[in-house]
Amino acid sequence: MFWIAIHLPLLPLEAFCATLPQAAGDAMAGTDARPVALVAEHAVVQVNAAAAARGIRAGCKRATAQALAGDVLLAESDPAREAAALRAVAHAALAFTPSVAEPDPAEPATVLLEVRASLRLFGGPVALARRLQQALAPLGHRLQLAAAPTAAGAALLARWAPRGVDALHGPHARDRAALAMLLDRAPVTLLPAPRAAIATEMVAMGLHRIADLRAQPRSGLARRFGEGLLDLLDRALGDAPDTRRWTVLPPLFEARLELAARAEHTEQVLHGAGVLLARLVAWAQGRQVRVGRFVLRCLHERARQALVPPTELAVELAEPSVDPAHLQALLKERLGRLELPAPTLDLLLLCRHVVAAPAPNGELFPTRASRAEGLLRLVERLRARLGDAQVQRLVALSDHRPERGSRALPLQGEGAQPALPALPPGPALLDPTQPLHRPAWLLPEPQPLGEAADGTPLLQGRPLRVLAGPERIETGWWDEHPVQRDYFIAEAHDGALVWVFRPRLPPPPGEPVWFLQGLFG
Amino acid sequence: MNPPDPQTDLFAEPPPPRPGGVGGVGGVVGTGLGVGERPALHPAVWRAHELARPVATDGRFAIASGHRELDTQLPGGGWPLGTLTELLLPHEGLGELRLLAPALAAVQRRATASRGLMWFDPPAEPCAWVLATLGIDLRQLVVVRARPALPGRPTRPARALLPAADVLWALEQALKSGEVGAAVAWLPARLPADALRRLQLAAQAHEGPVFLLRPASEARQPSAAPLRIALGSAGPDRLRLHLLKRRGPPCAEPVELWLPPVLPELPITELVPPPGPLRPLLPGGRDPGLQAA
Repeated sequence: MFWIAIHLPLLPLEAFCATLPQAAGDAMAGTDARPVALVAEHAVVQVNAAAAARGIRAGCKRATAQALAGDVLLAESDPAREAAALRAVAHAALAFTPSVAEPDPAEPATVLLEVRASLRLFGGPVALARRLQQALAPLGHRLQLAAAPTAAGAALLARWAPRGVDALHGPHARDRAALAMLLDRAPVTLLPAPRAAIATEMVAMGLHRIADLRAQPRSGLARRFGEGLLDLLDRALGDAPDTRRWTVLPPLFEARLELAARAEHTEQVLHGAGVLLARLVAWAQGRQVRVGRFVLRCLHERARQALVPPTELAVELAEPSVDPAHLQALLKERLGRLELPAPTLDLLLLCRHVVAAPAPNGELFPTRASRAEGLLRLVERLRARLGDAQVQRLVALSDHRPERGSRALPLQGEGAQPALPALPPGPALLDPTQPLHRPAWLLPEPQPLGEAADGTPLLQGRPLRVLAGPERIETGWWDEHPVQRDYFIAEAHDGALVWVFRPRLPPPPGEPVWFLQGLFG
Repeated sequence: MNPPDPQTDLFAEPPPPRPGGVGGVGGVVGTGLGVGERPALHPAVWRAHELARPVATDGRFAIASGHRELDTQLPGGGWPLGTLTELLLPHEGLGELRLLAPALAAVQRRATASRGLMWFDPPAEPCAWVLATLGIDLRQLVVVRARPALPGRPTRPARALLPAADVLWALEQALKSGEVGAAVAWLPARLPADALRRLQLAAQAHEGPVFLLRPASEARQPSAAPLRIALGSAGPDRLRLHLLKRRGPPCAEPVELWLPPVLPELPITELVPPPGPLRPLLPGGRDPGLQAA
């Protein structure tokens, strides 16, 4: 067995910063960002770089923190929020091995993977550790990795993060003897204790390292510090069996993020939605599927009178993908068009439509299939920004009524059937040697024209010269839209040809006689 | 002043093999040089009294427009690829689609390159079966329209949204992606100063022709497009083109060409004068105008 442990030392703080409106990178790393401190049981437990620069340390009281930095943001740590963030890391790790242990309360903020079977595929523990770090980078956590032949031992080493060891893949023990040597140098404060005072007692007794602990008689240790300590040491060194339960990926994705402050504009929602999208991508990669459709639900503050229904934003992908940049871009375009009816408190991301097919191969020479993919991505981006109904394709229908013979339908994804049966035009129309006698531009509604005294139609005040006609179109008696019209091709004053008609039966006096239907483009 | 001696010409290179003369619709078009001319310069440089040859993109210089009188006047013998072509119209409905249809159909039939057409914000509804008759494959055509004005208060009242902003953004995305065969866009009169410059830069990533159709009032405004043509009607089924700007000597006379006919040669019925207004019958069934008909 070969275990890799991933420890996230700043998980509570990072989980809280994910709910803030600005990017997590700004909150965590920059010293000129707003100081943030996490409080648990009236004492500060974690601070970000800006707060540390102002002098706030772990262990000081709330009032001290506020005195040192007036604008510090104090927040309570929330175990549910941290568990959700840890779950996303576990899901991302599931892409590398099927055996990821369930989180253990004795090892907080640590994910354990058993990777003996995956070492050969990924090219060794170093390469595997590097790929793990790359896969977890979008989630935005600080990671400490360690590897050991036992689970508890790897977890201890990951929490230790000793100096002088290669920072890329942390302390690495190939076998139990090497693990014992490494653990011997570890301080006793690493061991989780039921009482906080145990570590100070050990130090007061002169036991600074785990080697000192192991040198003591077991019965004495058990009497002073409890059986749990001995059990942990045995499991870490491999002397006792360590059984773990494995994490199981949920079949459908559902994640919730409670925002730190009410979001009144969609830009403030964008960052939280991005965090949820990163978790969705981690889950999809763990399940080895691609996302076809996801729904972002914004839960609003209760209005004075009634409950405001949640706003749903569904993003459907014409081509399923797990590319986080592409999903973020699509979501950002959609969010830019959304208007929130009330301030948002919670975000919920759901994904039920996934596609299990493998991704297409990247080809050396682009073929028709890969070109079609590229065009689909472009069309998706246009649809995301402009709206589904604004990207259209033209369909010719078999109907003599000019306004119904041609329809512009929204462009669906590949494989979607058109809603109306599109029959190809008859062979006579497709003969290129015959004159067209139909206009390329049709006005959406026939435009009434004035009439001169001798009956010629007037376009913008000037008479039209009728060149050809009449062509009678009389059809549609079975619909509510019967058409009985005589069509003429006329020439305007500047030589352009237009298509005008008048109804077969004369309209009552006072109503327009001539109508403009099309322009010959 | 004598033209420089080709032997000492700094830019002289061995002449490229000429694949043939001006081709028909869809063919590869060769250079604009005639027989017996001096050896060629670098393709990006041209002599002022000659038409330029567009810089080759994957072996093709230009796409033939399908109208012989126009091809002889265009640099490269056809519509240029990878740069903007601006067509200025007084109003839609002059015959611009019949002018562009052969080139657009040829783009769709090309064997190797991308084939889709994208139209941005056409001024009226295109008639699908007329386009099919002109040779355009409707399955490879996408029409993109700008967003309608949203009702209610805008989300950002301080920043006024340009009506052309959507079309410009969509066109730029389509050109940059390089997946579109040919793009035809109808742009309004007033554009931001650098819009055409950005589109020209984006068009360099694009493999096919780009047509911008704008109102003729913009003829006097400067533009970054290397080819500008003003269209006018010279009678039914006849189009007059003034080449305002091209890479070569200014065109002295407008080009007139016959478009694919709309009017039947033999009219559907004989050309009757427009019928007079219908007058109601008098009581008793007599038509008062009967003796005048």
